[in-house]
Amino acid sequence: MKPIMLQGHERAITQIKYNREGDLLFSSSKDNKPNVWYSLNGERLGSFNGHQGVVWCIDVDWTTTRFMSGAGDRTCRIWDCETGKEIGCITSASSVRTCMFSYSANMAVYTTDKAMKQDCEMFIIDTRVVDDSTGQQDPILRIPIKGSRVSSILWDLDDSIISGHENGEITQWDLKVKHLCFSYCGSKHYLPEENFFVNDMQWNKDGTMFITASKDHTAKLFDAKDLLLLKTYKTERPVNSASISPIMEHVVLGGGQEAMDVTTTSTRVGKFDSRFFHMVFEEEFGRVKGHFGPINSVAFHPDGKGYSSGGEDGYVRVHTFDSSYFEYNFDY
Amino acid sequence: MPAAEEVKSSWADEVELEGGALPPSTEVYENGFKIVTEYKYNEDDKKVKIVRTYKVEKRIVSKTIAKRKCLKKFGEASNDKPGPNPATTIVAEDVYMQFLTSKEEDNKTEDDALDKLKALGDKNVVKCRNCNGDHWTSKCPWKDTIIAGGKIDDKKVGGPVGTPGAVGGDNKQTGSKYVPPSLRDGAKRGEGPSAIRRDDSYFTVRIANLSDSTTDADLEDLVRPFGPTSKVFLAKDKITGQCKGFAYVHFKFRNDGAKAIAMLNGYGYDHLILTADWSKPANTN
Repeated sequence: MKPIMLQGHERAITQIKYNREGDLLFSSSKDNKPNVWYSLNGERLGSFNGHQGVVWCIDVDWTTTRFMSGAGDRTCRIWDCETGKEIGCITSASSVRTCMFSYSANMAVYTTDKAMKQDCEMFIIDTRVVDDSTGQQDPILRIPIKGSRVSSILWDLDDSIISGHENGEITQWDLKVKHLCFSYCGSKHYLPEENFFVNDMQWNKDGTMFITASKDHTAKLFDAKDLLLLKTYKTERPVNSASISPIMEHVVLGGGQEAMDVTTTSTRVGKFDSRFFHMVFEEEFGRVKGHFGPINSVAFHPDGKGYSSGGEDGYVRVHTFDSSYFEYNFDY
Repeated sequence: MPAAEEVKSSWADEVELEGGALPPSTEVYENGFKIVTEYKYNEDDKKVKIVRTYKVEKRIVSKTIAKRKCLKKFGEASNDKPGPNPATTIVAEDVYMQFLTSKEEDNKTEDDALDKLKALGDKNVVKCRNCNGDHWTSKCPWKDTIIAGGKIDDKKVGGPVGTPGAVGGDNKQTGSKYVPPSLRDGAKRGEGPSAIRRDDSYFTVRIANLSDSTTDADLEDLVRPFGPTSKVFLAKDKITGQCKGFAYVHFKFRNDGAKAIAMLNGYGYDHLILTADWSKPANTN
């Protein structure tokens, strides 16, 4: 396959996301301009200019009308997808690490970092009408997070939120119970040690399972109802992102040696491949090379016929699978 | 400064500069292809013609996607022409998915090879060094137990060192096989040469992750401050003489070795971070 390389960013990619139909691909990086591309030919539709810091997280709503980004400049901004204009800006006390629209996009959640004497906090905001006043509105719900900070987040429809934490914990928050939230299941990704944080979480197609990617060198598949651990995919490097194929029983893992460790280890290559695992048998069956640094984000195209990866090297690579991928039969 | 101006004022150069304006780029649509021709100067100031050919496709998509396809570009891309901008979108080299064969298959092929060897006729083609069975030593089912048994044997032999008669009996049991001198009944097993070696290695420090350009002199400079050494060995490539990345330093005193480890483990040396630890005897691996 001939990947398309998108080089609209000047620094490491932090997250990539397809919209629901998969015709657009959004990307954010440690420079301050998230970009949006046509996934078919790699043409850049535009960039969202306005942030003044590292853009950590992006999300796009169900109808691809609004785009949200959270950044290190302590703002969470909502943009019009069609014009690239900023329509709402919410300022928080510390940098915004994760954000996501709810399924209906009537609500959105964002979490802030534990920094500058601020505790990690989760905010749920009303996004039915987004305009200049959005920044002044009080959030619907404010949940202080005691303990380790939130490093990734997922909405389960409009009812609950699943958060992945820096210590490897995964917590589900029920929002329906009298607007009081509680964490009814804490499933450890790993032993409660430092640095095993959950880098990324992604849904499967029908929202019954999600996959987590963790620094403990594994990706894990969980049942969304009760956070039951279903499968574990083991590698020998930190996993930064994982995605589930919508049409095949495949998952793709992206990761690699951390950028800060590259110089302190000897000449061995860092294994910056995208790695394909069989979802059920937990066995690796394929690899795709390409990036010069660790992969920070991977995403399957919603039609399952391709995938994209964004790396520490600042490139997004859009792949369309060859027929060999579809013809490949996993032996078991 | 004046010299530079003089050079530039050559009339020939001036003509070249004036006449050097690039022809405008063109876009031609031809039976389903878009051909873009551009002119540019490359690094050597030579004029270069760049021709890019794009395939124009028509696809039937849902209304919402079609609507999005017609959006006006914004932000950084607002000045881009329709179609991918070659500055931001590049078609990368072909990559292929490497399919990995499963481990069971690997085992199978090895077994096949073994079967073939056996089929050749000679029954003793493959012989296990542990149990004399007809399989590879590495695949011996008794691997762990035999090793454990060997240790017990050692103790048995080590006990009656003073009574040569009993040991002799042991030896006879093993048959007419060659016994190395160090293992013969005369040699003291427990405190034999191996024990001395171990003692010696006790003060040996292994330093790893040295850079390629490290020389013997560098290494000596590095370890001298910690105390007297009996031997400094730097592993080097036989042909190129380049350092292989690790070294053994034999200290005369244990304290000095400990000091060296405390200092050198994690020490940044020649842009690499060293690791240092007591050298482990080879048989523990």
